[in-house]
Amino acid sequence: MTTSPTAPFENPRAARVWRLFGDGRMVLMIALALFVFLTVLYPLFQVVWRSFIVEGSLSLANYEAVFLRASNFVAVWNSLWVSVIATAISVVIGTLGAFVVMRTDIPWKGALSLLFVLPFAIPPLFSAMGWVQLAGPVGLISQGWRAMFGPGPVPWNIYSATGIIFVLGVSNYPLVFLTVAGALQRVDPTLEEAARTAGVGTGRIMRDITLPLVKPAIYGGGLLAFVSSIDNFGIPAVLGMRAQFYVLTTRIYEALTVPNMPLATAMSVLLVGVALVAMVGFRRAEGGRSQYAVIGGKSTTPGIIKLGRAKPWVVAAIVLTILIVVVAPLFALVLTSFLRFWGAPLTWEFLTTRHYEAIFNTPAARRGILNSLLLAAGAATILVFTTALISWLNIKGRVRGAGTLDAIGLIPFALPGSVIGVAMILAWSNPPVGPALYGTIWILLLAYIMRYMAFGLQTSRATLTQIHDSLEEAAMASGASRMRTVRDITLPLLRPGLVAGWILIYISAFNELTVSVLIWTSGSETIGVWIFLMQDSGFTGRAAALAVLTLPVILILYLLMRWYARLEERRQKRQG
Amino acid sequence: MNSSSGAVTVQGLAKQFGALRAIDTVDFSIAQGEFFTLLGPSGCGKTTTLRCVAGLESADTGRIEIDGKPVFDSATGLDLPANERAIGMVFQSYAVWPHMNVAENIGYPLKVRGVAGTQIAARVEEVLKLLDMAGLGGRMPSQLSGGQQQRVALGRALAIEPRVLLLDEPLSNLDAKLRELMRAELKLIQRRAGLPILYVTHDQVEALSMSDRIAVMSAGRIHHLAAPEEIYDRPATRFVLDFVGAVNYLPCTVAGHEGGRMRLDVGGGTLEIAAPERLPAAADLTVAIRPEDLELAATGADDAPRARITLRGFVGEGFEYRLELGGQSLRARTEKTVVFEEGAEVVLTARRGVLVDAAAGLDSAVAAA
Repeated sequence: MTTSPTAPFENPRAARVWRLFGDGRMVLMIALALFVFLTVLYPLFQVVWRSFIVEGSLSLANYEAVFLRASNFVAVWNSLWVSVIATAISVVIGTLGAFVVMRTDIPWKGALSLLFVLPFAIPPLFSAMGWVQLAGPVGLISQGWRAMFGPGPVPWNIYSATGIIFVLGVSNYPLVFLTVAGALQRVDPTLEEAARTAGVGTGRIMRDITLPLVKPAIYGGGLLAFVSSIDNFGIPAVLGMRAQFYVLTTRIYEALTVPNMPLATAMSVLLVGVALVAMVGFRRAEGGRSQYAVIGGKSTTPGIIKLGRAKPWVVAAIVLTILIVVVAPLFALVLTSFLRFWGAPLTWEFLTTRHYEAIFNTPAARRGILNSLLLAAGAATILVFTTALISWLNIKGRVRGAGTLDAIGLIPFALPGSVIGVAMILAWSNPPVGPALYGTIWILLLAYIMRYMAFGLQTSRATLTQIHDSLEEAAMASGASRMRTVRDITLPLLRPGLVAGWILIYISAFNELTVSVLIWTSGSETIGVWIFLMQDSGFTGRAAALAVLTLPVILILYLLMRWYARLEERRQKRQG
Repeated sequence: MNSSSGAVTVQGLAKQFGALRAIDTVDFSIAQGEFFTLLGPSGCGKTTTLRCVAGLESADTGRIEIDGKPVFDSATGLDLPANERAIGMVFQSYAVWPHMNVAENIGYPLKVRGVAGTQIAARVEEVLKLLDMAGLGGRMPSQLSGGQQQRVALGRALAIEPRVLLLDEPLSNLDAKLRELMRAELKLIQRRAGLPILYVTHDQVEALSMSDRIAVMSAGRIHHLAAPEEIYDRPATRFVLDFVGAVNYLPCTVAGHEGGRMRLDVGGGTLEIAAPERLPAAADLTVAIRPEDLELAATGADDAPRARITLRGFVGEGFEYRLELGGQSLRARTEKTVVFEEGAEVVLTARRGVLVDAAAGLDSAVAAA
């Protein structure tokens, strides 16, 4: 048995610090603080600081430039209203879907809900491309329209604000669906049973009891959808730039291609402002309802509405939504990838595999695939372990300051990707010490780490709070040191959360476009960047082909995540 | 610094959580092989005290020795972490690790000490036999009942033959029947292992039935430290009287005092109890009588108080009566043979009683007979 040295301190505070060092917590804390400083705080500081600098001195000129140039100001406004309407669409589809799937007796629930939330895993860029191929000037729907109503322009235009709003709305509703469905599952069923015994009917219970109870989840899901909309680059880039309709993310992209770094920086800070104002607005609208302590942790069997004769209609509506929103754009993508040229008639002689051949013959495309696979794996692996340790220091290790690390690590969650992109360029183009990472692939890794740190922190925190303190204390009492306890007890128990977090970060990073498109350089292309560039320069077929190649990877990962989550849930139920 | 040979010695222990004095100077020492219990309501500081002994919490001031060796001393800054105190601990939630099987759970304390695999296996077998769980080493905790998980937690604590066994409300998550069974089991296992135990509970029955000595705690202080019989029959403070066992309070005045007995006028009659060595000075007194110390009879002395039965409940081994005496409600517990109908009038006598100063609070001392 080891005997620890007697701490040579009279002062109890000094003794406490000695103990923190002695068992390794302080060393860990210092290392993680350095990590968070480099990946989050320093780039963040750079954006804010540089936005106020003009030719080496403090100035508001960058901001004046944003507001005085009408086109920039319009972009701020466009970002706001487009995201608000798109969020409304997401909230309606997501909430209705969640109630139908969770609280009615529709058949094939598992399969339907799986398909219904599929857009969660599909990169928004792919949806935008799919919709162009469906409803664009020579799209499938447009061709059908002309076949029925004669030649001439169709009465809609996908390259417009309306197009952006629609595609954003149908891309982001799974965020609302997942939050609301989760809340519906956890509503204490006795609350509904109490209303039932008081003589209230099922429909009325849903309206008067259940809906108010899950309202915070609806707001929460709405906030996620809003942030995701305002953050999005792929959709407004594919559908808006051609029509000269700009939002902040596409404006920043344009400013960086000029490049006008100070303007991009100032707009980034504005974008943060817009996102923050929206969040505060949501919180206020929510009105602190989340304080209701009625949503317990246990999942139970809730009240189910019997649809009766309406059942076929409800099923038809769900299936139709899935067909329109999920199947149609993916089908269009697949079709386009095999067509000789975009808009070609659908006959055998126009089918080809040459787009796929082109991809395998293009080094940049091959590099992109490899880069994306490795970057996502790297970011996910690094984040899962670092964030688990930060959460551990914060929740179990009780090290002062770890809470601050956690809070700082959560900031990027509220930051639109463009801001992170600009921050990366500013921070790593010419850093005060160390190598200039801009121009290398490492800047992408750092960007993904910053962007998805919150994912890691949140999943590890959620898992850690479920691990009772006494499980660790029992190991200490059994003679294991702090770090041995973390290795033997905490990490194995955390594993389900770590795996789930890893897959979540992997999928997100693999699909990432908003940041990547700002900071990629030749040699560090990602799949998303390459597809976007192809689409943007008119190689629709190649873009579609690589998207189609990417989809199975994403879908398999996504199914793996669902399967694993369900497995863990079942295991916990057995133990509980 | 005096070094006693007790299993655990706690001197002048104090700990503050913000404005709350969790432990307000606690002293006690546990002899080798002794079953020592900290008893008190939640928030009284008993668990914090135990966790300070375990090394899971650091006290602000004081000194703790385990087996004669200091493990905590605020004067020198010594504060060994839990893993260097050679203790065994059982948690309220059992804290059986769900990712390890029974044998791995029990063997873990040996494994972290670098004991060889074959020796671990042998010791685990031994412990499993001691717990009547032989052959269950390969089971996962999720396949065990609550009682079995509890034994695994106990086995894990016993694996290294610790210098002291710390138990934090280990039975509170078991159902009533199992709890009763485990009370005896625990006591037997402790005798077999010959271990000193520091036991924390809020359950007075547990404390009274298992302990060699009990320290009753409230608001971070020990009110009474004694053997169970003394705690129950001669509580040191009103709090102890109130917390340990049920009790009736009757306002009274002293009506007479002779030959080691005293008569108390409780309004509507006189009760006679053994006189305490030291009489409370105050004129306003209260006599505290436990329900089982109230005797009910159909007839009796003329000046004995007469009460009416308002409720009778059958509790298996006897009856629980509610009585009314001069507008006050009393509880009495009798054997099965003492049967009165509701509404009947009975004559009360007291087998035993304790005098309390009526005006004083819960902390005040009582005059026990």
